[in-house]
Amino acid sequence: MNALMETDEQLLARIGLARIQAAEQARTGRQLRLALPFLAPALLLVATLLLLPVAYNIWLSLTHWQLFQGQDEFAGLHNYSQLWTSPYFDDALGNTAIWVAASVILPLLLGLVLAMLFRRMPGQEWFKSVIFLPRILAPTAVGVMWYYVYAPDGLLNQLLSTVSGQALQIGWLFEDSLITPAIILTFVWQTCGLVMVLLLLGLAALPRDPLEAARIDGAGPWQVFRHITLPLLSPTLLMVVILSVLAGFTVFDLLWVMGSSYPQQRTLSLAVFMYFEAFQKSNWAFAAATAVVIGGVVLAVTWLQTLLQARIDRMVR
Amino acid sequence: MSTPHLALDLAALSRREARRGRAAHWKTVCGLLLALLWLLPFSFVVLAICKSTEEYATSAPLALPASLAPLLDNARDAWQQGEMGQAMLNSALYASVGTGLSVLLAAMAAFALTRIRFPRRNLWFLLLFAGTVFPFQMYLVPLFFGFQWAALLNTHAGMCLLYTALCIPFPVLVLRNYMQSLSLEVDQAARMDGASELTLFLRIILPCLRGPMAAVFLLQFTWIWNDMLFSSVLGNRPETRSIMNALLVFQGSYAQSGPNIMLTAAVLASLPTLLLFLLLRRQFMQGLRIA
Repeated sequence: MNALMETDEQLLARIGLARIQAAEQARTGRQLRLALPFLAPALLLVATLLLLPVAYNIWLSLTHWQLFQGQDEFAGLHNYSQLWTSPYFDDALGNTAIWVAASVILPLLLGLVLAMLFRRMPGQEWFKSVIFLPRILAPTAVGVMWYYVYAPDGLLNQLLSTVSGQALQIGWLFEDSLITPAIILTFVWQTCGLVMVLLLLGLAALPRDPLEAARIDGAGPWQVFRHITLPLLSPTLLMVVILSVLAGFTVFDLLWVMGSSYPQQRTLSLAVFMYFEAFQKSNWAFAAATAVVIGGVVLAVTWLQTLLQARIDRMVR
Repeated sequence: MSTPHLALDLAALSRREARRGRAAHWKTVCGLLLALLWLLPFSFVVLAICKSTEEYATSAPLALPASLAPLLDNARDAWQQGEMGQAMLNSALYASVGTGLSVLLAAMAAFALTRIRFPRRNLWFLLLFAGTVFPFQMYLVPLFFGFQWAALLNTHAGMCLLYTALCIPFPVLVLRNYMQSLSLEVDQAARMDGASELTLFLRIILPCLRGPMAAVFLLQFTWIWNDMLFSSVLGNRPETRSIMNALLVFQGSYAQSGPNIMLTAAVLASLPTLLLFLLLRRQFMQGLRIA
């Protein structure tokens, strides 16, 4: 019989498509069975201890659950509308906004200055380590240290007294207008080193040719920095900005340690507010709703990063 | 014609050299000042932990201590009053078990994701990776009640499990990227010779991963050692507290012990990671580069 006169079905039957498909399926099934023992432990732990809680948290935020009240009462978006009327939430949100702004701008500017300063400097390893050192310490330990730096009879007041010539006893961590800037200063002291190191890594990876070309064309150091270095550095800058936004937005440890004797503790940031509602007031559903708000913003920022990253990658290329 | 040009260039060059030299000096001075500024809080702490409580109260923050003798007393007081012995052991357990187990499991998962060609690998990877995108706040309330339900609240096992899970996604990401750069030909050769996947993983792939695994190990170890949040929610008993949580609790009850004792406790709690950093500075920086 002429092969050209076969119908499709006949052709497929002759070359045995079904058999090939079956073999293919058996192969992928076998591969999956091979892979699962390697994958399963990690997957099991992540799914039960991280992903399941996230789903459960979202469900909780839609209930009335609090101390002595059942979690089976569905509340809809009640907790979320409660958030906007809570005076503490407003203050916490405002403070968190200040944190985000400050923790993006200050470490980035300072880190950039430090990176440009230490680049190609003799003994830079030594300088870098000193600036990076606070980052190794736990925020809790740093908080304890700076608690006494800011004490009324502490280091900062002593230094300011020496400079100004009058005895100062400012309670940096006890006044509404001072506590957030004071803790932000500590945060900058601690995180600046990481920003600097990341920027230095970015700078080291820059291509040489555009810089050389600009210099030969007579561009001054500032022009080279402004028009060549900064744009080339933008992928690193974006990463640093996103990391800083997320760090500032979810800041907790420093505030919890240094703000422990501040009366309005729960207004310090959203994360502190959430912890306070959950584990001191037992408003679990309400706290879960706050956590969902925090999570929503974090996801949005992460999503924005992937968008911008793709755009920058295209631009640089 | 060329001589004046040459002379001009030489003068300009030497001027520029001088300017560059001056700029370098100026930069070094700036760097030195900044480094000193950064070290100021440390020097305050170092001086404070060498003073007795009375001495701390009466002397200026940056005044030199009369002798180094109070340091040992402070350390003993901080260790006992802060219940730091048990907390140190707890943190050592959490950090070593959590990091060791998570890096191993992550390496296994990354092996499966890069070396075995099973369907929908990206989906499985995203599932694991999803563990890094949510803020810790979303875990706290559900984990607290989940641990209560499973009788894991305030147990060493519960804390070890949690830290292991928290530390899996990041090493998976790093090790997967690294393993993708390893050639697949070795695998094929090994498989032809009849090696099982386990042999392949243990004998051939794992030894190649020593560098990135060490880097990830350091970062995760430091993170677990420095964590206070999860311990204060899920393990807040003297028997299960992590070291940083113990420090926090001590700070909350410091009424009976002076700032010098508190600061000594903070230094003691930080010593292990500090030593780790000073000894393995290069590996730390390597870790940051990979991350």
